[in-house]
This record gives sequence, structure tokens and C-alpha cells, in this order.
Amino acid sequence: MVAAAQPWGVPVSDELEFYTIDPRESPAEAAEVRLLLSQCDLDMEAGIEIFVLGRVGRALVACAGLEHNIVKCVATAPEYRGESLSLKLMSEIIHLAQERGHHHLFLYTHPKNVSFFEGCGFYELAEVPGYVSLMENTPVGIKGYCRRLGAQRQLGLKIGCIVMNANPFTLGHQYLVRLAASQCDWLHLFVVREDVSLFSYRDRFALVQRGVADIPRLTLHHGSEYMVSRATFPDYFFKEKGMVGECCTAIDLQLFRNYIAPALGVTHRFVGTEPFCATTRKYNDDMKYWLQNAPSDAAPIAVVEVPRTQCAGVPISASEVRRLMRSGNVGHIAELVPRDTLELLNGKYTFAQPAEAGGVGA
Amino acid sequence: MKIVKEALAGTLESSDLLVKVAPVTEERLEIVIESEVMRQFGAQIRKVVEETLAKLGVSAGQIVVEDKGALDCAIRARIQAAVLRGADQQQIEWSKLS
Amino acid sequence: MKLRRSMLFLPGANAAMLSTAFVYKADSIMFDLEDAVSLREKDAARLLVYHALQNPAYADIETVVRINPLNTPFGLLDLEAAVRAGVDIVRLPKTDTPDDVRELETQVERIERECGREVGSTKLMAAIESASGVINALAIATASKRMVGIALAGFDYVMDMQTERGDGTELFYARCAVLHAARMAGIDAFDVVYSDVNNEEGFLKEVDLIRRLGFNGKSLINPRQIELLHNAYAPTEEDVDYAQRVIAAAEKAEREGLGVIALNGKMIDAPIVNHARRVLQKAEASGVRQ
Repeated sequence: MVAAAQPWGVPVSDELEFYTIDPRESPAEAAEVRLLLSQCDLDMEAGIEIFVLGRVGRALVACAGLEHNIVKCVATAPEYRGESLSLKLMSEIIHLAQERGHHHLFLYTHPKNVSFFEGCGFYELAEVPGYVSLMENTPVGIKGYCRRLGAQRQLGLKIGCIVMNANPFTLGHQYLVRLAASQCDWLHLFVVREDVSLFSYRDRFALVQRGVADIPRLTLHHGSEYMVSRATFPDYFFKEKGMVGECCTAIDLQLFRNYIAPALGVTHRFVGTEPFCATTRKYNDDMKYWLQNAPSDAAPIAVVEVPRTQCAGVPISASEVRRLMRSGNVGHIAELVPRDTLELLNGKYTFAQPAEAGGVGA
Repeated sequence: MKIVKEALAGTLESSDLLVKVAPVTEERLEIVIESEVMRQFGAQIRKVVEETLAKLGVSAGQIVVEDKGALDCAIRARIQAAVLRGADQQQIEWSKLS
Repeated sequence: MKLRRSMLFLPGANAAMLSTAFVYKADSIMFDLEDAVSLREKDAARLLVYHALQNPAYADIETVVRINPLNTPFGLLDLEAAVRAGVDIVRLPKTDTPDDVRELETQVERIERECGREVGSTKLMAAIESASGVINALAIATASKRMVGIALAGFDYVMDMQTERGDGTELFYARCAVLHAARMAGIDAFDVVYSDVNNEEGFLKEVDLIRRLGFNGKSLINPRQIELLHNAYAPTEEDVDYAQRVIAAAEKAEREGLGVIALNGKMIDAPIVNHARRVLQKAEASGVRQ
């Protein structure tokens, strides 16, 4: 639009104009974005679906990206830096996210930038000092979530918790839940909500529900964005690639220890030993550090690693079931999963599917 | 007026405010106000927000206000815009807006 | 006789500008709901303007709202908001025919009745942005008793004429046509915006031209332009001196019941007296030209 047709708005902000691009479809502009990011010591992150770009004349002066409901790659050119440009940029990205159906937003940033984003209506959830902070765009997000969780609190000295993806629910999961429940006054069981696994959340939850129906002193919860989600467990957001996994799990586990566990009074977290999946094994190791040992205002939570139940000498795992599905080895699956899971596999999920995207194996 | 979907209005710029509204399961109004001038004007902002919502007949929903030192007239306008968007309301009853 | 030299555009979606613009000493302030507002913000801007108009800080300033054309989904809602909030003048963009004005008037009158506002109290202005508008300028200017002015809008007009903005040659006919229509209708005429806010010299050159042509004033896009414009429109000391003497002579004639006004032995007629009044009004508003 030309200045004459856009009175005052244009000249006063020195012709600052915002628009959006899909970085995958605009390689030339994506290259400009990469340059601006590098000036701000940031990398172009994979997975960004849309960018808001701010230009003054031809110069690219501001960018902010969105992957799903996570704000990424927020940068303003040093020579144009000032509250007003940054606040305009953040207003734009928040409106853009809303248009794309994302009201609740998360944002990763260096801890030194936390106070700036606080001025944009973001609130810190967890921090790995010197590395990264996770923020959300509401002052009542996790507070409200914990308040709702707190309503399901149960009395007892030993309150257990399991978070599982159950992709799909196996006899191994069932064994773990039964064992944990038998050792606790009450057990809270969460199913990972993020829908990036082979089995849909709806199906995974339904199978868990049927599989634990006869286990007493147990509450089955829906998962949330605050546990093992795209937001708490991003693939990577760091320059030092070595730190990637470390920080991812640290954020997720801090949220568990500082918010979720206190809301429910959880004292013990149960996990199965992980023989196959490296991500899950690392998650288990990190769990011991961040829940039990790391300095924190929140009480430590004992991590109980339960050896997996076996079938013919091989530990049962969901990843093994998926492997068998891919190879079309239906007969063997029957020995690893409850009947409900098997029925679902036979009815809905065709065998020999391509490898699924991401997700935690457990 | 009933808030049926999440919506927002306004900006984070100085003298403006960002208002976020969302439906809630319980039949109650949850108003959260954050402001740079909370100490001096917090009570006044809350009064304007509550009056504006009452006039619109909004009795349930989550209303989050990020205020950047806006005048009362801007607060009214942003609350109304967010609620009308969240209520998916095209028809405007002007008497409820004054 | 309302002085309208400067009409300052404010983007209707900008809360900060709406909350502070009353400090600028423009003759009229125009809240824009049309081109300065993105589609996403049409509803929110309308509400901002609706409440800003009711802010007591704007009580002593002439307010104008540029609505979206009535054939868009926004126009009528904009009009409802503006009239109900007590705006002084509604500015209709892209006016091509007198029917556009008459349609606007019908709607304004309906809203005035519905909200209990005095019928006829909302004034109208039309912006002319096409060849058709220029050719129909007189019919547009006289289409309603509510009309207080017509404005030329250059951006759309030059596109319609298949040319572009330049030294003003491209606007020559349109300026003259709009101006003559306004004078015949007895209403005000406003010139186009000058969009290069950093070019003070260019702005002043254009202001000098349109002042000499006879325009009442100009639409402005930046508060920095207000004082420059007012100064350029301010009379010289000699103008003021002469005007004072004209008025004194007129008052003397009035007091003495004389049918003829004379100054230095010359007869002075009504247009000269009116002109002198306008000179003194401008001098009172912003002094003599610096």
C-alpha cells in the first residue's frame, strides 16, 4: 500500500510494514531472515510454519516465527531496536497465532530476555539457568491447570505418578501401572496428549482406560501441554547442539516437579526401564537428576525405575509392537498387548505402515 | 452475551492494551489484570473492565488484560472488541456499548 | 464561520494516537476507519473511534470520521458508530455521484432518529477520488443541506486518470473543478494529503499553490504539518492592518446607519468585509505569517 492511501500510520512509523511469509515457499526471504537472526545470535529453526516480517522500506528489521503454538526466532535489527518495534512485532505474531487457531502460546528464549517478553504478556514457566527459559502467554495458564488438577488430589503418604504415551498400550504398560498402584496409596496416571504419534490420542487414551479399569486407587488423567508436549519437549532450540536434549528434558521435568507434582501431592514417579529407545532412556536418566537431585524450592520426587516385564525373554515395549506392525508380524503382537489393543490394531490400523513421526516411545 | 471461543483484541503498544477472552467450563467470570500502572490505576482499570463486561451481559469466561497505560475509552473499546469477537457476534447492540 | 485549514488524519486502529491527538491544534481531527485500517482491525478500530469520540478531551475539537464506503460490509456499521458517538462530520470516501451523498444522508437521518440525536446535526463531507466525482463535483457538493465540504483525494484519482502524482499538473483540472463546485455550493474545499512528511519544502510549495487557488485547507497525515500549514495560511501584518480598518469602517457605517461603507474615500462592498473577517479570524487563530 502506498503512503498516500495509508495516512499517518505509515510515515510516523517510518513506513514500517508487517506481512507474513511461509519460509518453505519463500527461500529468498528466508535467507534474509537467516541473516537477521544471525545478527541476533540466533539460528533459523526447523519446523517454523509462518513468519511475520517487518520492513522499513526495503530493509528487513524484524521477524518472528510460529511453529504450531510456539513462538520462535524473534529478532529485531539492532539499529531499529526499541520498545515500540518489538511490541508491534509481538502484537503481530500474537494476532497471527490467534488467526491460526492458537490462543495459548509458548516461547523459548534466553533467560536474559525474559524481562522483555514479560512486557509482552508472557510469563516464565521454567528456566535452565544460562541456557533457556520457557514462557507462556497467560498469567493464569499453569496456575489454572494446577488448580484444576488439585481438585483431584488424594490423601495418602505415598502418591505415585506415571506419564505414558502408550503408543500403543501394551502388557508392559499394564504391568507397570499395576505394580505402581500396588505400591502407592494412590496413583495418578497421565496419557501424553500431543497428537504426533502413530496412534491417535483418542485411541491411546481409550486403550489405557480399558486396560487399567480394574486397578484400584488410580486416577486416569488427560495429558496436557505442560507435560511431554511439543511445547515442553521441543526437538531443539539451541546453538550448542550438545545441550539440546539436556535442556528439553530439564524444562519438562521442572514443570513436573514445581507445578504438577505439588498440585497432586505426588511423591513418587514410576517409569519402566528402557531397553530400546534412546530418547526415552535419556529421559529416564534425566528424570532422576531433575526430580530427585537438582536444587529446587519444590520437594524432591523419588524416581522408581521398574524393570520391564518380558515376553519370551524380550522386554515388552510399544516400540517393539510398532516394529512388528511394520514388518507385518501380526501373530507375535498378540503376546505383547491386551486384547483391546489387538482388536484396535486389527480393526483400524493397517499393518506395514511407514515409520511414524517422533513421539516418545514409552 | 456468551463467550463461545477464544479471541483477542488490542496490542502491546504503549497507551493500548491486549485483551484475551476464552470460554470457561464453570459458569463464572475470571478477570485477570496485569498493568504497568497497577499500583496507581489497578482499581480503576478493574472497575472499567467489570462495568464494560456487565453492560455486555458477560457473566462467564476468562478475561486477561495486559494493560500498557491505556485510557478508559481504549479499555472499553478493546474489551468490547474481544468479547464481540469471542461471542462470534455480528449484530451490535449499541446501547450495550456506550 | 468555522475555520477549517487543517484536517489531521488519525488511523482509527491506533489506540495511542487516538488517546493523545487532542493535544494537536488541528482545526479538525479525522478518525480514519477506511484505508488506514487493515481488514482484520475494522471492527476493533470502529469501537476505538466510537469511544474516543465520546472522550471529553475531544469535546471542543471538530471531529470527522472517514467511514468505509457504504457498499462494503463495514460502511454502515462505521456510520452507526460515528453518528451515535456524536461525531460532527462524516466523511464519505470515493464519492462518484450525488446519489452516494443522498444515500448517506438517508442513513444518517435514520440513525439520528433511532438514537435520539437532533435530526440534521450530523454534517457531511464528500471525498472525490475519480474522474466521475470531479465531473459531478457540483451535484455532489449540493446534494445535501448537511454538506460542509468536499475534498479531493489524489491517490485514487490519478490512477483513475491513468497518470501519477507529480508536480501538481496532474491535479490541475480536478483542483479547479472541486474548488468551483465548493464555492458555488457555499461549502469548504480541501486539498489532497502530502505524503512525504520529511519534505518540508515540497509541502510548503504545495500549500502555497492551493492557498492561492483558494482552498480552505488540506488533509494532513502528520501533526508536524499542522503548524506549517497554519503559518502559511496566516495573513501578513499588512493584511491584518487593512482588514482591521475595513472592519472598523463597517462597524462605523453600521453604528451611523449608513448604507454605504467607505474607507479612504473608496466604497467597500460585502465580499471585502467578509474577506476581512476571514483574515482576522485566521490571525486570531494563529497570528501573522512568520
